[in-house]
Amino acid sequence: MKLVVAQWRMELTNLVRNYEQLLLILVIPVGVLVFFGNVDVLPESMNLSRLVSSVLTLSLMSTAMVSTGISTGFERSYHVLKRLGVSPLGRTRLIWAKAGSVTVVELMQVLVLVIIATILGWSATDASWWRVASALVLGTAAFAGIGLSLAGRLRAEANLAAQNGLYLVLLSIGGVIVPVSELPARLGNVAQYLPSGALAEVMYASLGGESDSSLGAWIVLAVWAVVAPFVAGRLFRFDG
Amino acid sequence: MHSGLERRANAERTASGCERNNRTSITPAKASAVVQSGCLMSTVFVVNQMRNDNALEVTNLVIRYGDVTAVDSISFNARYGEVTAVLGRNGAGKTSTLESCEGVRRPTEGVIRVLGADIATASNALRARLGVMLQDGGIAPNARVRSLVHHYCTLHGRGGDADGIITKVGLTERTSSTWRRLSGGERQRFSLALALAAQPDIAFLDEPTAGVDLDGREMIRGIITDLVHRGCGVVLATHDLDEAERVAHRAVVLHHGRVVLNDTIEALCSNGRRLEDVVREVTR
Repeated sequence: MKLVVAQWRMELTNLVRNYEQLLLILVIPVGVLVFFGNVDVLPESMNLSRLVSSVLTLSLMSTAMVSTGISTGFERSYHVLKRLGVSPLGRTRLIWAKAGSVTVVELMQVLVLVIIATILGWSATDASWWRVASALVLGTAAFAGIGLSLAGRLRAEANLAAQNGLYLVLLSIGGVIVPVSELPARLGNVAQYLPSGALAEVMYASLGGESDSSLGAWIVLAVWAVVAPFVAGRLFRFDG
Repeated sequence: MHSGLERRANAERTASGCERNNRTSITPAKASAVVQSGCLMSTVFVVNQMRNDNALEVTNLVIRYGDVTAVDSISFNARYGEVTAVLGRNGAGKTSTLESCEGVRRPTEGVIRVLGADIATASNALRARLGVMLQDGGIAPNARVRSLVHHYCTLHGRGGDADGIITKVGLTERTSSTWRRLSGGERQRFSLALALAAQPDIAFLDEPTAGVDLDGREMIRGIITDLVHRGCGVVLATHDLDEAERVAHRAVVLHHGRVVLNDTIEALCSNGRRLEDVVREVTR
């Protein structure tokens, strides 16, 4: 346990020192919430509750998929994972330390975003926090699985491009900023089966919003949460 | 021993009068004498050496990458208190062999026993006693010297003193520098510091002097000599045959993945021959 805590602290220290990562996990989600919370440019149906669920989805994607994926990809290419793998830490404890680091960052994100949303006028009274927590766990598993599948196989630069590209695609047409129901029919049919669309939908329902497709979204998210880590486990190579 | 080596050995005599001839291996009998004479020697090593002289035993090791056989059924041992140099041209299989011994790479066939245990099933407690210096460092560009050496001391949990290790490798002026800001030689010493954080019973050093200037080489040679006098087994992969001749007790020469020579440096360099000539002859 002592070694996991030591590595977990090192992971968090590295994160704080990395300004690009901070931009991704904190500045962008806060910026999106504050901007769209004050400027009326989104569709009518995009109320504040929907916006909060979208931004929580975005922040989870930023941390679990893009931040974890990019940093792990570079660590792999610099042989940092190889070096740590032969230390007494070992691979299993390294994974636990990384999971712990992602969890702390996500809790911090939720706290900051909920405080800002409350300042903007959102009320958390209808939220079911155990459902929110379940959505975070499933979403983290799904997106970390996708991020690590890419990070564990691609060269560091290709991984960087792929993670950022996927992030932008999922944000724009994956049911995050614009809800699945507001997307053009063909896009919406695809987006409802994507982890981003499913997570945004269950997050909206968990925060008290009315959603017709909540059960289906939970099932889609749960499938991604099982399949993506499994694929990552099969594809991941510690040594680049 | 030819005169050049004698001069080097004489230069390594310590002020305390304890002769630090780095060509002299530490056998169990000598270990007791060294302890009595006040030289650095851990009791753990004396016990280890009484049980078995070999810190590393490689038996019929085969490493294949697809259709390519990088290492073809090689066997050799490395002893406590000695430097075993693994030599050979590029692509001879040195790094593959070392990485298998470190547990980085799973061999295709064969058995590797490190500190008496099979490395394939090595416990974390055993890994804590291994000092590893990878050829490619294994350090992130934004990692800071003091922070990472301290972290590795914590991971190994063997009482390593980060500041003492940083002083030993000559990076006291660079403690808050990141890897990317260090020179090539400083990076090598940073990487060596991580191996020393283990207070190792066996150290695997892959090209420790590559890109290092003369002063740096002298320093690294001194550190290796210190490890040997603590009873640590050092396995060193290098292209630098002059360096190997200076510090090693034994050479294992690989060529096309096979062992073509395995003997003491003293025997290989008898009749005034240089190690470089001997190795060149068998790897033609």
